[in-house]
Amino acid sequence: MKKKVKKADLNKLKDYLWEIPKSFREDMRVPARALASESIVDDIIEDRSLNQLVNVATLPGILKASFVMPDVHEGYGFPIGGVAATSYPNGAISPGGIGYDINCGVRLLISDLQYEDVKHKMEALSKEMYAQIPSGMGKGGQITLTENQINQVLTKGAEWAVENGYGKKEDLEYMESHGKLTEANPSLVSDFAKKRGRNQLGTIGSGNHFVEVDYVEDIYNSEIAKAYNLKKGQIVILIHTGSRGLGHQIATDYIRIMMNAMPKYNIELPDRELACVPFNSEEGQNYFKAMCAAANYAWCNREVISWEARKAWKNIFGDEGGELKLLYDIAHNIAKIEDYIIDTKKHKVIVHRKGATRAFGPGFEELPKDYMSAGQPVIIPGSMGTCSYVLAGTAKSKDLTFGSCCHGAGRRLSRRAAKKLVNAPVLKEELRAQGIFVESGSFKGIAEEAPLAYKDVNLVVETVQNSGIAKKVAKLRPLAVVKG
Amino acid sequence: MSIEYLSHTADIKMLINAETLEGLFKNGVKGMCNILKEGFCESSHKIDTKVMIEIAATDNTSLLIDFLSDILAQSYIENVVFWDIEIIELIEYKIRAKLSGTQVETFDEEIKAVTYHEANVSRNDEGFWCTSIIFDI
Repeated sequence: MKKKVKKADLNKLKDYLWEIPKSFREDMRVPARALASESIVDDIIEDRSLNQLVNVATLPGILKASFVMPDVHEGYGFPIGGVAATSYPNGAISPGGIGYDINCGVRLLISDLQYEDVKHKMEALSKEMYAQIPSGMGKGGQITLTENQINQVLTKGAEWAVENGYGKKEDLEYMESHGKLTEANPSLVSDFAKKRGRNQLGTIGSGNHFVEVDYVEDIYNSEIAKAYNLKKGQIVILIHTGSRGLGHQIATDYIRIMMNAMPKYNIELPDRELACVPFNSEEGQNYFKAMCAAANYAWCNREVISWEARKAWKNIFGDEGGELKLLYDIAHNIAKIEDYIIDTKKHKVIVHRKGATRAFGPGFEELPKDYMSAGQPVIIPGSMGTCSYVLAGTAKSKDLTFGSCCHGAGRRLSRRAAKKLVNAPVLKEELRAQGIFVESGSFKGIAEEAPLAYKDVNLVVETVQNSGIAKKVAKLRPLAVVKG
Repeated sequence: MSIEYLSHTADIKMLINAETLEGLFKNGVKGMCNILKEGFCESSHKIDTKVMIEIAATDNTSLLIDFLSDILAQSYIENVVFWDIEIIELIEYKIRAKLSGTQVETFDEEIKAVTYHEANVSRNDEGFWCTSIIFDI
């Protein structure tokens, strides 16, 4: 039994940065660091997320430190909200460091409409969104892909949706990696995974995934908000989902492959879910190329869901509703190859982000021209009934956290505990009284995702802003929520 | 022989035990399928689908997790809940089993994965086979 991390084991390096030194456990290769306020530390010390962070610090080839963001909570293997960078090309790649829902992520569509002008249509919009966007457990979508088509989706990502009439060409510029990882290879994706993905394009799924209509309640940085085209009172649509069953299956397939391959590379780890192999091994390369294919599926999925949301929008508002433009689309479960300076030396690294968002600052060459001086948008979904945020990445995130930021509020209660505490029909009515319309396939889904099941997203975002890794730009308040 | 569900942040943790290893595998299937469709495995239904699953692993823990993962994948591909299991062979780290299931319109829960986290198939002090299993939801 490994010893549990206690608060006394953490050293405060500076405000909002805590460290468990490498000496805490002899198998640690680097220290483990938490980006957190003191109250968040007091909170997370209660579960085993910091022990999991220590386990991550044992990965072969890990550089600098393992990190958790302030929305951290206990996962399996990696903590949710974890970041680990390993040395390219022979450091570890671990599917557990990306998660089962490969390229789970968020995107924000922005409209020209103001809340005051259309608030009387919010209930109708929520019902139309629910009708147009398939959600729920294992629900199939409106598109069934042939074998050839799914291979195209896995290769082309969001571009496939655009080419086939389910998306807008201009969206591609406003997506992380332009919605396509070129390393993807569909031949490394199992038949099981492809079968699971064939009818799920354009579907949200269940759990914490949703489509939400919000309005911009507050602007904190008017210059960046202007660059992002955000205005107070504006109606926006937030979409949160990933690669669905296809991604889950790829992760399952490759964790199994890696567990069996680890002895070949003399890798021993404290938790099977951290299973990893050298990135440049055959198994490592195969997984990475399959993961890229799943990431492409997820970007295509969010593009198709946007097409469905745009249809619903048009059905309610007609031509007067104008266009829904993509502000940005960003992944929070992914591995990327990126460059960093560590101890004055340039390093190419494999960054694992599991429940963490890339947060690059101004000047990043992939950004659209209109965002170049503002920095990359970071979209932080809160829980239904509270609020969400738009942030902007900073140069400091590259120095401090391998260019990473938080990804949400972070769960506080288990789904089971939430279900015991929440009366879903009552909650639905309470939210409605606050002007938030919830459409869901089940009351169970509403109870599990109740606001009380989550940490305070405001506290998470304040911590991120105060630590300097991202800037607050705008706060979004929910009006209509479509859930699985 | 028992199946117990516990709280785990964002996931479901299941504790199972049985007098025999075969019983443990059967309980694992029953426990998982009852998450997919609550109470479905407590009674018989019209059989729509039969599948044979045959896998090998390096130890009993991996064998159980991989077995459940394959059943989960089949459930989602076929939209079926498997409520009847016949284990044809279970020897050191191989299993061959026939599963029968019934098509469903929807599932009660979307299980992303059966994880290896904290799973450890072993005998407890009473001689029962047991393990915990965490499902990623």
